[in-house]
Amino acid sequence: MSKERMNIPDYNTLFTEERYVQQRENKKQFEAPCSDQEKAEALAYSQSAEYMEKNFERKAVVINPHKACQPLGSVMAALGFEKTLPFVHGSQGCNSYFRSHLSRHFKEPTPAVSSSMTEDAAVFGGMSNMIDGLENAVALYKPEMVAVCTTCMAEVIGDDLSAFIGNARQKGAIAEDFPVTFANTPSFIGSHITGYDSMIKSILSQLFDRSGQTAAPGAGEEGEKLNVLLGFEPYTGNFAEIRKILNAFDTKYTILGDHSGNYDSPANGEYEYYYGGTKLADVPKAANALGSLVLQKYTLKKTQEYIKGTWKQQVSALSTPLGVKATDKLLEAISELTGLPVPASLKEERGRVVDAYADSHPYLHGKRVALAGDPDLLLGLIGFCLEVGMEPVHILCSNGDVEFDGKKWKEEVEALLATSPYGSEATVYVGKDLWHLRSLLLNDPVDLAIGSSHVKFAAKDAGVPLVRVGFPIFDRHHMHRNPIIGYQGALNLLTLIVNIVLDQLDNNESGFGDLVR
Amino acid sequence: MEPIRKEEIDDQACGSLAPKSKPCPRPKPGEAAGGCSFDGAQITLLPIMDAAHLVHGPVACAGNSWESRGSLSSGPSLSQYGFATDLSNNDIIFGGEKKLKDSIDYIAGRFAPPAIFVYATCVTALIGEDMDAVCKEASDRLGIPVVPVNSPGFVGSKNLGNRLAGDALLQYVIGTGEPELEASMGVNLIGEYNIAGEMWDIEKLMNQAGITLLSRITGDARYKEITWAHRAKANMVVCSRALLGLAKQMESKYGIPYFEGSFYGAKETTYSLRQMAYLLNDREMERRVDRLTEREENRLSHDLRPYRKILKGKKAVLYTGGVKSWSVISALKELGIQVVGVGTNKSSDEDVQRIADRVSDDTEYIPEGGASRIIKTVRERKADIMIAGGRNMYVAMKEQIPFVDINQERHKAYAGYEGLLRLAKELVDSIANPIWKLASSPAPWDKEDSYDR
Repeated sequence: MSKERMNIPDYNTLFTEERYVQQRENKKQFEAPCSDQEKAEALAYSQSAEYMEKNFERKAVVINPHKACQPLGSVMAALGFEKTLPFVHGSQGCNSYFRSHLSRHFKEPTPAVSSSMTEDAAVFGGMSNMIDGLENAVALYKPEMVAVCTTCMAEVIGDDLSAFIGNARQKGAIAEDFPVTFANTPSFIGSHITGYDSMIKSILSQLFDRSGQTAAPGAGEEGEKLNVLLGFEPYTGNFAEIRKILNAFDTKYTILGDHSGNYDSPANGEYEYYYGGTKLADVPKAANALGSLVLQKYTLKKTQEYIKGTWKQQVSALSTPLGVKATDKLLEAISELTGLPVPASLKEERGRVVDAYADSHPYLHGKRVALAGDPDLLLGLIGFCLEVGMEPVHILCSNGDVEFDGKKWKEEVEALLATSPYGSEATVYVGKDLWHLRSLLLNDPVDLAIGSSHVKFAAKDAGVPLVRVGFPIFDRHHMHRNPIIGYQGALNLLTLIVNIVLDQLDNNESGFGDLVR
Repeated sequence: MEPIRKEEIDDQACGSLAPKSKPCPRPKPGEAAGGCSFDGAQITLLPIMDAAHLVHGPVACAGNSWESRGSLSSGPSLSQYGFATDLSNNDIIFGGEKKLKDSIDYIAGRFAPPAIFVYATCVTALIGEDMDAVCKEASDRLGIPVVPVNSPGFVGSKNLGNRLAGDALLQYVIGTGEPELEASMGVNLIGEYNIAGEMWDIEKLMNQAGITLLSRITGDARYKEITWAHRAKANMVVCSRALLGLAKQMESKYGIPYFEGSFYGAKETTYSLRQMAYLLNDREMERRVDRLTEREENRLSHDLRPYRKILKGKKAVLYTGGVKSWSVISALKELGIQVVGVGTNKSSDEDVQRIADRVSDDTEYIPEGGASRIIKTVRERKADIMIAGGRNMYVAMKEQIPFVDINQERHKAYAGYEGLLRLAKELVDSIANPIWKLASSPAPWDKEDSYDR
């Protein structure tokens, strides 16, 4: 560019300049601050075992939560279907949060609208908002389906979605045959994964019911296909990876709920509102598939029940298949559902990943790890840690509450930990927040933390490097584009983790140090 | 400054001037709406850095919002903690007041903040929690201010929430303390949130001119300094869309004159500093400000030369809210950039008037959101760059439009003289980046081959 290159520091460096430092010092005279000694004492206390005990006795308040709410999951679910517009029924701000939240993670726009309820809706109910909203949204954004989910507000006042949508049709706000699916998703129950599940189940069941078909698993042309459900999937790369695996098997399949297109669209000069997604016509047909493969069994609880119960299909349910062993199980499940053998290309890929594990194992062996995330992701991460010889120590699941079958999940986690001596140090915390995690990291130190961007503050306080895995990841780019499932995903995770360990080694070294690791 | 008419002072409706005052625009069902009143109230008060901010509602209201604003702190970080009462199904039925009380007690006991702000959410407002009573009781018992902020999401837009937060400050905070220093020369900054540290640049300029910044409302504020805001000699309203009502009420209640100003662009900055000195009614200070602003403007003018060369004649579409909707236009004009389209969705009537004063007649006004509307303007007017906030950024990327983020997530401070220099550099960098050429040229196999056939 030009010769007159100017160095413009961002706030991290700019405000370390002397004049700004001086300014802040001057400011202290009127804020009546604590003395440095008092601050140091308070900090030390907050890091102590005594404080940790008090922190864990805390019942009343949540400090630094690690979950989002149901409708956020529903918005993601809706974006998994062809030309479907997510419609959040309730007060408007919720929708705005969901759009920013998802956009900050994927670095992509999130099309979603709100019925923008206000006080009058609080008093008289949200019907007119729903009717006007549907009419406006269809006119403005020209979707082929609208997927309605609710916020707390609509739930507390008890809006009847089915009746409202019926009235909207009667009044001609939307056409009789225009599909509007809906799910009740109050935020004071469950979390983003509950909402994802509710919306997927609603879309499957409502589109199926409308079609007037009857379920006949294994019948007709669709009878050779496999249904695949990935769940609340923050990695677009995982969709590509599962496709690669299924194509290697040479089996036909339908992905039910595929938001990868919406969250990985090309920059080719024109933004469209809708990219890809499961074809609406494919949803009723999916009832005739050979069977269903579920990759987040704790997330997709209701959906599984529906597929088993109404579609009478065989369901193979796994947790996020991270690492070699979990991928082995995935391939076995596909093999069992389809009757096809595991293809040679995948066997070879497995061998390469095992080789990579072997190359890296000296740096991972015995590394103590803290994990935070959603239930299915955690099961995958624990499995991965155990097979590379890392020791999970603190396992924190904020949204594994009672509604989530927390107990059953915990039992499965503990059973998984018991399969390996590397799991013996671990404790599982269900429903705890990131302030609890901070105490844990400070009092029972680990070498690495694995979790979302929100974990970074606790990790920083404790001086532990953070490997960003899960949702949301706001402060790193493109992590979601690379798969973490399958053998390729295992390799990606391994690369990510071992290189953070190696970075640490380099950072701690004085002088030139080692070139060869 | 023009004298303010009585009816203007009385008019609290959304900061618009009587008689053409209009209420905050109602969100329209079926559109991709912006933030809610809860969001607006919280972002106004969160920059009070040493206070605890407790969200009374389902955990996700806090979970969806904490740690997502770029308001910087020079010290305490308590405001960055995400506190929530985490109401669940049972609390909706039986009430959450006990949980609220326990949460306040826990925070007071463990974090010892100078004050706790408690935010209502849709849920607590609908189930009829008596938050005011719980806060008052806790406040009396604990001996620290516990301030209820009654701004549940459904009452309206983000802007309305900003105002309701201002009301909470006026009702519970301002006037409850006295400054420790002689503050006869003090000015309050209202509606400046220290995004990316902009407040520090402003404060530096004020320091150089010898103007005391009495209370920051609320960028990088401490609770205590807001309690004595009523002792200021003048108020400067930086974001009028958000907190003009607060300034008006302080004028009628405490007789503090105010003016609306901005720090985007050299001219606006100079004007604002002069206005402060003028309202403080100190000749010597006015002379000091004149010397300072002249020196800074000259220096800036020199430093900007290479950037002006590149930016001259470029066209921009600006889509932002509040004060930035007009003041950034001045800044861009100083850089030689023509604003061909401007969003007015989050601007008050006066803001729109100020926009009109600053743009040419054929500039397009974009009254409503929606990415497609903004993009259309960029295309039709052949703009070189789009300047907007994060939610529109990724659409711009898809459409291969150079983009500069000027909203809450940015990491660079654009206020004051040095800020304009930073903005210039950012604009040049964005326009000059080779990615736009790459993105807009077809792949080689799509190119028409002129050699064969």
